Amino acid sequence: MSPYVSIFPSGRRLTADFGDLLSDILAKEDIPLNLYCGRRGVCGKCFVEILSGDLPPSDERDQALARAKNLDPSRHRLACRLPVRGDLSIRIPEQALIPKARILSRGTGKEIFLDPTVRKIAVRPSRPDLHSPHALLEGLKTGLGLPGLRLAPETLFSAAAVLSEAPEKDPMVTAVLGVGDELRGVERGDTTSRLFGLAIDLGTTTLAADLVDLGTGTVIGNAAGLNGQSSFGADVVSRISAAFKDPAQAVALRNAVLASINGLISDLRRTTGVEPGEIYETVVAGNTAMNHFFLGLPVDGLAVAPFVGVFSVAPPLPADRTGLRVNPLGRIYLSPNLQSFVGGDITAGVVATDLPSRLGNVLFLDLGTNGELVLKTDRGMTSTSTAAGPAFEGMSVSCGLSAQTGAVDKAVLLEDGTIDVETIGGGPARGVCGSGLVDVIAAYLRRGDLSADGRILRPDKRLPVTPDVSLTSQDVREIQLASAAVKAGMRMLLESAHLGVEELDEVLVAGAFGAYLNVDNAAAIGLLPRLPGGRVKFVGNTSLEGARALLLSGRERLRAESFPRIIRHLPLAQDKAFQQIFVEELSFREWPAGGTPAAAKQEES
Amino acid sequence: MMIDLFSAMAKSVIDGDPNTAADLARSALADGLAAAEAIEKGFIPGIREVGTLWESGEYFLPELIASAEAMKAAMAVLRPALEKSDSASKGAGKIVIGTVEGDIHDIGKNLVSAMLTANGFEVIDLGANVKLIDFIEAAKASGADIICLSALLTTTMLGQRRLVDLLVEHGLRNRFIVLVGGAPTSREWAEEIGADGYAENANGAVREAFALMSKAGK
Repeated sequence: MSPYVSIFPSGRRLTADFGDLLSDILAKEDIPLNLYCGRRGVCGKCFVEILSGDLPPSDERDQALARAKNLDPSRHRLACRLPVRGDLSIRIPEQALIPKARILSRGTGKEIFLDPTVRKIAVRPSRPDLHSPHALLEGLKTGLGLPGLRLAPETLFSAAAVLSEAPEKDPMVTAVLGVGDELRGVERGDTTSRLFGLAIDLGTTTLAADLVDLGTGTVIGNAAGLNGQSSFGADVVSRISAAFKDPAQAVALRNAVLASINGLISDLRRTTGVEPGEIYETVVAGNTAMNHFFLGLPVDGLAVAPFVGVFSVAPPLPADRTGLRVNPLGRIYLSPNLQSFVGGDITAGVVATDLPSRLGNVLFLDLGTNGELVLKTDRGMTSTSTAAGPAFEGMSVSCGLSAQTGAVDKAVLLEDGTIDVETIGGGPARGVCGSGLVDVIAAYLRRGDLSADGRILRPDKRLPVTPDVSLTSQDVREIQLASAAVKAGMRMLLESAHLGVEELDEVLVAGAFGAYLNVDNAAAIGLLPRLPGGRVKFVGNTSLEGARALLLSGRERLRAESFPRIIRHLPLAQDKAFQQIFVEELSFREWPAGGTPAAAKQEES
Repeated sequence: MMIDLFSAMAKSVIDGDPNTAADLARSALADGLAAAEAIEKGFIPGIREVGTLWESGEYFLPELIASAEAMKAAMAVLRPALEKSDSASKGAGKIVIGTVEGDIHDIGKNLVSAMLTANGFEVIDLGANVKLIDFIEAAKASGADIICLSALLTTTMLGQRRLVDLLVEHGLRNRFIVLVGGAPTSREWAEEIGADGYAENANGAVREAFALMSKAGK
């Protein structure tokens, strides 16, 4: 008769073999037991409560671990050290399970299991004495139960000091372990409750960072700021041009972005009290050019056709090589680039939205100066990028503003035909930002003062927003160009997958512009399809949320590293059909259900 | 009567209606009208009006393309007759056009190409990502008057400068007019690199090409 392991309160009963480790039995049944130290009995995270059953006696070390966690050593045992000798009834406390973190606060999020690439384990190294005069690091290995512990080269020097100084009466130290049992550092005392990671959205215009407790997956602070490279040009291409064949400028661009990120780290230290030295893992999600600038890699390949970067997937890099002011023994990981114009920020978006696992046909789009799109169908994923230009960011439009105080971000056509506007901050309007531009165009289309082909039908040839702010015909043309680039990209992707727009189950809109966009108005000007039942979802800053997922889970990293290989790329510029589709999509016509704007146009003529 | 026909021809171009444009061209030839006269008095005033509508913001790219298509349809009918007649006007000029090497953007260049053709230029379009030496070879081989260079990136616009330098090296600088354009370029840029002209858009390119041709006495 095989022994049973009964789990309470569920009453679930698992069959075991004599001598099996309890942790192995639970793992086989996909119970997400927290085996943080890799079944070595040193982290004390897999303590389960024994309700009944025949137990071997526990040793002094297990008992000390239990007491340190305020558990009763007679009732709590480490699952990774407990062989099954007969029927067992157990209860698995919540803290013995792998913690989960929710990714993607907007739209439908998912929970991921915490599986960070760095761990901290408190340990008393075995002390050398005259009978066993082993080296200090050998004592640490023994204490950790890790004879195969590898030393990161740069760790030797910092570990030496801590181990030599460990006082006689409390020799407790904390080992910081990376992937593959690599020793990244040794800290004095028990610091296991203080292990932090940093997720960074490295945007062309703005930066955002989440400081994350890697033990719980909780975000304990965030910071945002501007990318200091802006003085080299607002858009990526002008910065690439600045660095093109000019190493001094490339260095200056790198220093600018480093200063901005290090500024955020200082901000986070102020607001959370977390020391930069407590940050051992950092994930950066940025577009391909930003990733190259950040690492100080040449961008010359991104400057001219065929537009290639140096890397798609980079290994985790030693922090001190990158210039980030976190723990110098920490690692910096870059969200992999898909293509030269579909970067790590989009990979992070695919991770955050869990795009490959979503049901049906799903279009992910990130609207910025460059519109990036990824279409997921049951036959895989395809990405493309389309040069939308800076109109939606408020540039190239005479009254355009970025989303800042005084920008009109909302406009509504009232019953009496007047247009009511709201500004960011509520003060007087100084201009119009992207979401406001979409609203204003939609309002004038409804009022009949603007034709679908973009002609202003008012005698003054202007679209007033407030008494002091108005759109010119040239402004409308700029918005048509930006909108057409996005629509053409969408249509080319859909056509490549032989899908009609009505066959899309979800459209996930990422990015700051998307966050404030009015779905109805975006559909009215044809920028986004009009789909029933809330199929268009704004998913927020997926670059940051994806970076957080890559910080919390080594498995998510492995998946992300496969994306550059498995996501097909559809280049638009070389496609003969692109020009015609682009021109067709210049009109402000809605995407009708069951067809495309161009199809509607043909029906009319 | 004739005035009605000419204004109908102009209208077919303004409306961007290639079928009507071709029909009008055919019936004009059947009625014994000289091809050159149909072009000069009917279709060309149409495309000029399109330019005015573009300048005023009434017309945008789709309208411009439709009008260029209508013009092309009419010219396809009229050109054989034009070549037969001795009194044939020699056309506005010959142009070699392309987007410079390292740059794959060609929508803007295609529009310029279409509008130049619609306005009576003979256009040899080399496409996108064109090697600089190929521009020169094509211009020499065809006896072109103008070389038009498009570049959409601040990195690739440097190719425009190199082409002017190459022409100087080959001792051909005075043989060809060089006209540049594309989003990052400007009149100042054209002057800086020693090009002859600059245009901001397709309609501007037509104006600039005519102006440069007459300045060069061609």
